[in-house]
Amino acid sequence: MKGNIIKYAQDNIDTDVIIPGQYLKVHDYAELATHTMEGLDPDFHSKVKEGDFILSGKNFGCGSSREHAPIALSHSGIKAVLALSFARIFYRNAVDGAFLLPIEIEQDAYDGILEGDEIDIDVSANEIKNLTKNQTYKMKPFSEIIGKIIAAGGLFKYKPDQD
Amino acid sequence: MGKTLFDKIWESHVVVEKPNNPSLIYIDRHLVHEVTSPQAFDGLRMNNRKVRRPDLTLATMDHNVPTNDRSLPILDQTSAIQIKTLEKNCKDFGITLFDINSPNQGIVHVIGPQLGITLPGSTIVCGDSHTSTHGAFGALALGIGTSDVEHVLASQTMWLEKPKPFEIRVEGKRKNPHAVTAKDIVLSIIKKIGTGGGTGTVIEYRGEGIEDLSMEQRMTICNMSIEAGARAGLIAPDEKTFDYLRGRKYTPKNYESLVEEWRERLKTDGDATFEKQFTLHIDDIAPQVSWGTNPEMTCDVTESVPSPDDFSKGDPNQKKGAEKALDYMDLKPGTPIEHIQIDRVFIGSCTNARLEDLIEASKIVKGQKISPNVRAMVVPGSQMVKKQAEEMGLDKIFIDANFEWREAGCSMCLGMNPDILSPGERCASTSNRNFEGRQGTGGRTHLVSPVMAAAAAINGHFVDVRKLDLS
Repeated sequence: MKGNIIKYAQDNIDTDVIIPGQYLKVHDYAELATHTMEGLDPDFHSKVKEGDFILSGKNFGCGSSREHAPIALSHSGIKAVLALSFARIFYRNAVDGAFLLPIEIEQDAYDGILEGDEIDIDVSANEIKNLTKNQTYKMKPFSEIIGKIIAAGGLFKYKPDQD
Repeated sequence: MGKTLFDKIWESHVVVEKPNNPSLIYIDRHLVHEVTSPQAFDGLRMNNRKVRRPDLTLATMDHNVPTNDRSLPILDQTSAIQIKTLEKNCKDFGITLFDINSPNQGIVHVIGPQLGITLPGSTIVCGDSHTSTHGAFGALALGIGTSDVEHVLASQTMWLEKPKPFEIRVEGKRKNPHAVTAKDIVLSIIKKIGTGGGTGTVIEYRGEGIEDLSMEQRMTICNMSIEAGARAGLIAPDEKTFDYLRGRKYTPKNYESLVEEWRERLKTDGDATFEKQFTLHIDDIAPQVSWGTNPEMTCDVTESVPSPDDFSKGDPNQKKGAEKALDYMDLKPGTPIEHIQIDRVFIGSCTNARLEDLIEASKIVKGQKISPNVRAMVVPGSQMVKKQAEEMGLDKIFIDANFEWREAGCSMCLGMNPDILSPGERCASTSNRNFEGRQGTGGRTHLVSPVMAAAAAINGHFVDVRKLDLS
């Protein structure tokens, strides 16, 4: 999976800046997407392209349990968030709806990948290739069931009894 | 080897368990509100599914309800639609709903315990991160997203990676428990362990400093577990817990026999081990005030706004975060906290809008007027809290001081209803999150206890409430 990076070199990006509370009443996801990251980066909506990835620091998605956060990112075109760590409810919501891949990275990837870099994520090899810089980094593998839920396309498409 | 309280609750709820994978756990109680449930009910309809246990599911409306006169129509059409949708969903699926006109309406995390729905040793979920509040009763209480809401509605179970038990000991005694509150204890903890300090864990709060707290104060502590990144917070039930739940609307008929069993079982064994530990000594802690844009960015009321270098201790991301926060908050390093002037005061939210919170705040307000530069509101956590407070005459104390006295709801904690800050406004708030834009676009939030908020309303700036007579 290839895409370009939008980098927020900071920790603690919370769900209130990903999608502010006033928009939790919006049920049209295309409209919801126009407000993504509005609290942090008002230019986000104009610069994001289908297939982009976000790169950020620790505790990405902290705060509320609103599933609108991964939904808004997903409907903006974001296919994966790469972060040093994730708040657990955000991580889980991202996986449950197969909205985007929450990928835990190490410091080398966080430091090495910059805004605009093109990267290739290989989930089966647990590798991230930086095509712009010709570097490769390890990603933390998904646990077995999480990997299966993602592969199935979300919690409601995953059938545990087929294991 | 001994077991922690968390281990015991977990083991008694596991349905399916496999090594190195999430487990399927049974959910005893599911609380539902208007904002995170509509898509979940839509999902059930699309797949011709029913709610598996409507009798274990309970709904109210709290997040976007207006807090002014309830006989007036709801002007915000999108809020009105969400409220109507919840009414229809509850009717269609046979779920008990405490609607906007019910005497039991209120913030889900306030009404759950008040109605006796929250029980020790149980598992509770709700599509809201502050579900951790219910852990004050020794319940494993988890905030979940809408997909999981649908999964629990359909199956009364959810998949969960087993969190790790984290012991936080609160030792010592506060010299002035009216001035230094549960809010100050939990903010002191988050200030030390950080917003990610509890990630992947269930915190069990233990020690003399916790045992001394009332149930309402314990709820304030567990409520903010999520602000440290924890999956849940827990406090072992004791006689205070059992007394609190006795005789409430939904307290089980066989309550006394349940209490006997809980008293024996629901505690961490002496030889149990935790994966992580932290101890806070509270003998000398001060009232806390947040200065930044996450709850970790907090200091003593007697301190000054820190510099990004002092705050970050060499971590570049923390430094950048502090610089951004100071810019957003329009604060300069070195400014004494007590010199910060405020525009608004919000006493409310699932963190601090229970009866004791209002009683304590009223002691400061009684016979005073709020500063002419301040607009202040009290939003009781539930209609039951509001009624109890009015029976005690607290409403008059606040109204006489020029506070607005409102109907129950989440209100200005998260800016989903008309109660919001204007851009640039600075608020002393008893809520739980000081994130950018949380209380309204451009609004600036300082997290404090109810007594600190009340004193700020009277003075127009923060003051150390230890200087006041609160007896």
